[in-house]
Amino acid sequence: MSTDVKTRNKEAIEEVLAAYPEKSAKRRTKHLNVYESGNTECNVKSNIKSLPGVMTIRGCAYAGSYGVVWSPVKDMIHLSHGPVGCGHYARGGRRSYYVGTTGVDTFTTMHFTSDFQEKDIVFGGDKKLDKLIDELETLFPLSKGITVQSECPIGLIGDDIEAVSKKKAAQIGKPVVPNRCEGFRGVSQSLGHHIANDTIRDWVLDPAAGKHQDFESTPYDVTLLGDYNIGGDAWGSRIILEEMGLRVIAQWSGDGTLKEFELGSKAKLNLLHCYRSVNYITRHMEEKYGIPFYEFNFFGPTKIKESVREIAALFDESIQEKAEKAIAKYQPQWDAVIEKYRPRLEGKKVMLYVGGLRPRHTIGAFEDLGMEVIGTGYEFAHNDDYQRTTHEVKDSTLIYDDVTGFEFEKFVEKLKPDLVGSGVKEKYIFQKMGYPFRQMHSWDYSGPYHGPDGFAIFARDMDMAVNSPVWKMTKAPW
Amino acid sequence: MGALRQIAFYGKGGIGKSTTSQNTLAALAEMGQKILIVGCDPKADSTRLILHAKAQDTVLSLAAEAGSVEDLEIEDVLKFGYRDIKCAESGGPEPGVGCAGRGVITAINFLEENGAYEGMDYVSYDVLGDVVCGGFAMPIRENKAQEIYIVMSGEMMAMYAANNIAKGILKYANAGGVRLGGLVCNERQTDKELELAEALAKKLNTTLIHFVPRDNIVQHAELRRMTVLEYAPDSKQAEEYRQLAQKIHANAGKGTIPTPITMDELEDMLLEFGIIEAVDESIVGKAAVAA
Amino acid sequence: MSQNAEHIVDHFDLFKQPDYQDMFKNKQQCFENRVPEIEVEKGQEWSKSWEYREINFKREALSINPDKACQPLGAVFAAAGFEGTLPFVHGSQGCVAYFRTHFNRHFKEPSSCVSSSMTEDAAVFGGLNNMVDGLANAYALYKPKMIAVCTTCMAEVIGDDLDSFIKTAKQKGSVPETFDVPFAHTPSFVGSHVTGYDNMMKGILTHFWEGGQRKENGKLNFIGGFDGYTVGNLREIKRLLGLMGVDYTVLGDGSDVWDTPTDGEFRMYDGGTRLDETRDALNARATLSMQAFSTDKTLAYIKEKGQEVVALNCPIGVNGTDRFLMEVSRLTGKPIPDELKKERGRLVDAIGDSLSYLHGKKFAINGDPDFCLGMAGFLLELGAEPVHIVCTNGNKDWQAKMQAVLDASPFGKGGKAWAGKDLWHMRSLLFTEPVDFLIGNSYSKYLERDTKTPMIHIGFPVHDRHHHHRYPIWGYQGALNVLVWILDRIMLELDRNSSDIGKTDFSYDLVR
Repeated sequence: MSTDVKTRNKEAIEEVLAAYPEKSAKRRTKHLNVYESGNTECNVKSNIKSLPGVMTIRGCAYAGSYGVVWSPVKDMIHLSHGPVGCGHYARGGRRSYYVGTTGVDTFTTMHFTSDFQEKDIVFGGDKKLDKLIDELETLFPLSKGITVQSECPIGLIGDDIEAVSKKKAAQIGKPVVPNRCEGFRGVSQSLGHHIANDTIRDWVLDPAAGKHQDFESTPYDVTLLGDYNIGGDAWGSRIILEEMGLRVIAQWSGDGTLKEFELGSKAKLNLLHCYRSVNYITRHMEEKYGIPFYEFNFFGPTKIKESVREIAALFDESIQEKAEKAIAKYQPQWDAVIEKYRPRLEGKKVMLYVGGLRPRHTIGAFEDLGMEVIGTGYEFAHNDDYQRTTHEVKDSTLIYDDVTGFEFEKFVEKLKPDLVGSGVKEKYIFQKMGYPFRQMHSWDYSGPYHGPDGFAIFARDMDMAVNSPVWKMTKAPW
Repeated sequence: MGALRQIAFYGKGGIGKSTTSQNTLAALAEMGQKILIVGCDPKADSTRLILHAKAQDTVLSLAAEAGSVEDLEIEDVLKFGYRDIKCAESGGPEPGVGCAGRGVITAINFLEENGAYEGMDYVSYDVLGDVVCGGFAMPIRENKAQEIYIVMSGEMMAMYAANNIAKGILKYANAGGVRLGGLVCNERQTDKELELAEALAKKLNTTLIHFVPRDNIVQHAELRRMTVLEYAPDSKQAEEYRQLAQKIHANAGKGTIPTPITMDELEDMLLEFGIIEAVDESIVGKAAVAA
Repeated sequence: MSQNAEHIVDHFDLFKQPDYQDMFKNKQQCFENRVPEIEVEKGQEWSKSWEYREINFKREALSINPDKACQPLGAVFAAAGFEGTLPFVHGSQGCVAYFRTHFNRHFKEPSSCVSSSMTEDAAVFGGLNNMVDGLANAYALYKPKMIAVCTTCMAEVIGDDLDSFIKTAKQKGSVPETFDVPFAHTPSFVGSHVTGYDNMMKGILTHFWEGGQRKENGKLNFIGGFDGYTVGNLREIKRLLGLMGVDYTVLGDGSDVWDTPTDGEFRMYDGGTRLDETRDALNARATLSMQAFSTDKTLAYIKEKGQEVVALNCPIGVNGTDRFLMEVSRLTGKPIPDELKKERGRLVDAIGDSLSYLHGKKFAINGDPDFCLGMAGFLLELGAEPVHIVCTNGNKDWQAKMQAVLDASPFGKGGKAWAGKDLWHMRSLLFTEPVDFLIGNSYSKYLERDTKTPMIHIGFPVHDRHHHHRYPIWGYQGALNVLVWILDRIMLELDRNSSDIGKTDFSYDLVR
């Protein structure tokens, strides 16, 4: 059986490569592979430039810095510095939930831009930025700070946003954080994460290390990092962390605040959801502040229990006891969900293609429902992500890095999964082809999927996608 | 009226490019040609001798004032100078900020779209120094200048720049219609200058279209912000520019696709003419003490 | 225990539960350094004031919630309206991810478009290699009939020249010499998405028409402009032109590619203006554009080629449709059939039936330049009063034209056209000079939340309502759709405001 699958998957790779011009086929072949069980590598190349003209699904460094890391920080104003488009398209689409009075003390779903015109390109935009920050201060005095997110032209015309930021920060008495996340830098969103991690370190975390002296620490202080609260995911995780007796002193960055960034260095343990987008800063915190980190996975009861117990093991018995209690509290709820949905989903095959962690982290939740992930890949992973993936995938799983529109379509046609999980750009393509689909970036406007209560919603939604009667009507009966 | 001729003057900064181009264009105007000069240098001094003043109202400074280029009227940016030569300057940012290259693109698009070229016999672009980025290559793109004249001298850096400009032209020549019209040597009184200029022209697959001798009258005219043609029309130097103008006028369609040479070839040539001396390989990379 | 397998709640209700609410409160109190509630309230009240409005309108550098997108989005939209055409955006790749997403969310359809994926090295050396490889890959994988190239701001700042790049790519064999690769430079720091539409449409026509000898054939060209309702609108226009027996070409027909069936097949390309028709469109007698501000340069080009051009401003309603049909009739010599007169009568009938719910109602509108003109025109016909009209991508010409439309009607007195203003300006307008209803796109929903002005979703993009783009807003049928959307919202508001049992429900009328 397994050899049949392996042969078929290898064929699928050969078939897509045959369609490329030779030079491009040579480059794409390194990104595609069939996983061999026992291997500690997926043996695909990653974090390399996308080929021109192939319809990559990737975004850019601005999307990584502004869209992913910074924009959820709710009490700061995030300026899309450059032409109008980037911030317009990025606005409000991410579902990074927060509580606050938008436009007064909270700003995440708003679009602030310097709306560059030709004259700003030609004469430079530093003066405009200077003036703009004054206008922000006048209109939004309750903001806690400002981040400047550079769009492509900024880096090309040589604007000095660091100088302006320093000057204005001193004037307004709030952090102004310049991010050189021009979209042409790097090869995907990934470099944007790194740039944002660096500015967090240099402009917020380290400068604030001596701040908040009155803050009373406890032995149970942890942070929740790399969770952007999509559909409320971070809340879904926070609740069980608190139930097991931990104190979450900072959420980075979903529903996060400037103060939570400043408190970061006081944690006893950093808990990582999206390793990819925060590993740089957590490594720094480990080196500089001696804070260890742990990558947890709260998708589905199996992984939740595993993670909760491993986290608890890093603390004392009181925590371990509460952890068991929390698990016991949710167990009946999970059992009921599995009892209801597993029969409807048992044996269904899934293909995934997502971003930072979900191509591996959601596999356990699918398996809790009796489903099998037969193909997976990442938009902007590095090799360490693929190494981590080997712990989750089964033998013969098809692995595709930076998959192109063409490849993904052909792979699905060949592997015929019962469900495809990817982004909005892929959703309608596969639905037209008659494949059930869930958006796995935005949770398809649902969620949370993460955390103990999220699993029920995850199960409900996968059932709704796979078993909708609509897929039986795609062919006319005559 | 014949077809519009679009020409451009390129050359290393400080080579006397603007002076040469304005004097030549003044001579062309004497011949009855209708001329538009588009200055593509943020310093905006490509039309100073024609207008007797530095153009203050550049396309970009006016656009910045008005809000956007769309808010500009063509009358605001066109000035008339000696013998009704029409002048426009792109203008641009202070050194070290913004993107001057983009400014050139913006200005040329604006002039073209708003009919500045209508009724002209010649449009001449005067372009800053080297072809440093895509913006400064704007005048040599398709449907812009068909003939490029490189102003150079016998100095090594000027020749180096001329070769670089030829590289820029070659990039666009294969796909489009741009051609190298020829070299114009502005005498600096270096050794074997004429021979060297001719040799370079040959290597670049073009001709030395004119050798402009050095004459202080050019500086006298410049002090008065005038071309020699206007300041001293009967002078010998004015005659030189007239000759150059006639040669350019007769040069339509005779441009070539340049064959730029490598740095090594250029060095060999300079060596051959004794402009530079052969490097003693044994001293390369040795500090003073060791040597 | 928050979840019950028999009744699973998601974010809407899950987080309203007390355990989550307590958790929020604790986080806010202990870790957020939250602004005290009283100060937030003060700040909120201040933001509603005239004082705030004045400061807000003094902004020179800062744009907040601007209601416009950038040029290449419009160019991609224009390109997608041609048969077998793959839009190709030269520059950074993230832009294309955004464009595709934007269209996915509006049309609930796939959006096919490729990028030349330029990175740091291309920023320094220029993107020629990206063009050469990109065209070759796109051609091999996606087998288009045409690739239409536009640019991002990155390629524009470094000054990449599409014309020479495409020629060089052809010389290097990326695509056959005869393969159609029209192009348009679309810097995002100039104009907006409607400018990009215009540039690409002109680029495509230029590609097919240059060098051709025009021989008039009496046909009519029709251009829709950038239009979120293109699916419904173009189908309606084709029906109307068909009824009139007009021989026509729709230039840029995206009505099929933005509305493909779910039947087991993914159609990357569907329908669209045929390339031979596009070439032949040079010979038409005249071109009619439904959106003048979206086709400014295109029409100037067509006129230069010798055709008569007529430009409307997104005509919505009775007069607008009358004008459209009469222009078609004049340009083609075909009479307007009685059937359409009947349709017209039915629309007038509907307006008459509902006038008492519409007359004197005050409206705010935001959207693209032509849409604002058309929508305000319709409201004036209904006896409603357009008060604030905000058009971020409107220029001075638009402002003058819009103001003239308002000033010409007794229902437009007191109405004001705001060119270049954004939705944060609109927020101040709505707080200081409230209106009854707001018409706008999905981004306007935050205004409904903040100012409690009931909103009708009409415009682009509409991300949070489904399938409206499948309905026309043009023609008498289209106007009827718009009328119904407006009336539905008005009557829902009446019911909501009279549903308090024992208090206000005397007005909760069965018959309205």
